[in-house]
Amino acid sequence: MFLTRSEYDRGVNTFSPEGRLFQVEYAIEAIKLGSTTVGIRTQHGVVLGVEKRVQSPLLEASSIEKIMEIDTHLGCAMSGLTADARTMVDHARVTAQNHVFTYDERIKIESVTQAVCDLALRFGESVHDEDAMMSRPFGVALLIAGIDELGPQLYHTDPSGTFVRYDAKAIGSGSEAAQSELQDKWHSQMTLREAQVLVLRVLKQVMEEKLDQHNVQLAEVTTDQGFHILDEIALKEVIDTM
Amino acid sequence: MPDMSAIVNPQQRQFNPYAENGGTILAIAGADFTVIAGDTRQSEGYSIQTRYAPKVFHLTDRAVLAVNGFAADGNMFVKKVKQRLEWYRHAHAKDMPLRAIARLIQTMLYAQRFFPYYVYNILGGIEEDGTGAVYSFDPVGSYEREACRAAGAAQSLVQPFLDNQIYFKNQTPAQGSSHPAHLPLPDVLSIVIDSFTSATERHIEVGDGLEMYIVLAKGRTLPDAVTTLRPQELPSSAGDGERVFVLKRDLKKD
Repeated sequence: MFLTRSEYDRGVNTFSPEGRLFQVEYAIEAIKLGSTTVGIRTQHGVVLGVEKRVQSPLLEASSIEKIMEIDTHLGCAMSGLTADARTMVDHARVTAQNHVFTYDERIKIESVTQAVCDLALRFGESVHDEDAMMSRPFGVALLIAGIDELGPQLYHTDPSGTFVRYDAKAIGSGSEAAQSELQDKWHSQMTLREAQVLVLRVLKQVMEEKLDQHNVQLAEVTTDQGFHILDEIALKEVIDTM
Repeated sequence: MPDMSAIVNPQQRQFNPYAENGGTILAIAGADFTVIAGDTRQSEGYSIQTRYAPKVFHLTDRAVLAVNGFAADGNMFVKKVKQRLEWYRHAHAKDMPLRAIARLIQTMLYAQRFFPYYVYNILGGIEEDGTGAVYSFDPVGSYEREACRAAGAAQSLVQPFLDNQIYFKNQTPAQGSSHPAHLPLPDVLSIVIDSFTSATERHIEVGDGLEMYIVLAKGRTLPDAVTTLRPQELPSSAGDGERVFVLKRDLKKD
């Protein structure tokens, strides 16, 4: 791939003669460097889990934020350049709040995902008079989880602005091993607790450090409680049942 | 000596962008249906501009909007609401629920807070939970859900009648009984027809024709007493959902 590098991998809005957008492809590569992130959908709700890479004992693990709330009924987990995700999550939150303001109803998970993907493609050279746009593709992939009138849903978005719905999905550096493990273990009758444990097991397999309540984070979306991130006490409880 | 009076005396000119085109609209919610009605006369002052200008509009399978006041604003407003409903359908792959339409109408009206649409809106239809609902609005977007509402030229004639017949105001139930929360469809239609024939008698801006839209909840059928009136069923997008019917009547033309 890198042997074919040419002047076409410079411009973010120039197709190569083979019909590829190199900068978008490189952005997708950036995700494979990110920490592993897993999402599982069940009939009762969706579970998200991320590995927090605590590189130094002096690093405050609680300051690593890789799972974020979008609205009361949905949230997302990320892998890749997490700083880029802040822009996307901010856009998703504004979209969700505007929807409540205008329509007095919760926005659908797919609509939020679509809005985020619309933003993902808004890179390139800005035309005069326009607000400064993103100069390059976002280097982050999201797992968007939520519950709406269609039930619990899990979506995956990538820098190309593509989105797909999954029953279970892993992204990031350990995603290949994690995804095949999910394919083996996921079944449609899973309980929420089973999903939590599976997320942790999958993360444990691909993590270099020993998994504990400081270097992973779990969140879930349920009908009763909506989106919420598990605190360390609740997280430790799940880890102990593994 | 030139005439200086024009310079000395202050002069004032003004343009009034609004007109009042008369007519009356009305909506009543039942347990599993809603009736939305309006007359079809459009007038300005003592002259009738047309005897057939619809004021009630079919929006979705479960929503009907009645618009009264300045006809030009009303028609434009309905056009814009319909456009927003189509955009919503494309963006979210479903019809907008009634309560979402109500909120949308508020935001659209309030967006014109300092040059308002000179219209009173009444939105009727079926909610997500299958109940009949009526939402009434003022020109700048204040709204509430009610069981019934009349608006327009003959509001002051019709609303007290509805208060008495629908809300049973100033009526005492017979010993050991109570007033019903909702009336059946044939009774509601009779009240609507009586409201408009009476308003036609007493108000010069009401008359010519009457259009009554009936929105029926999912799985419900029209009672025989209504079927005999031969209402016209409007095409719906899904076969098994809510249904909308129209009943047309003549009103006196004098």
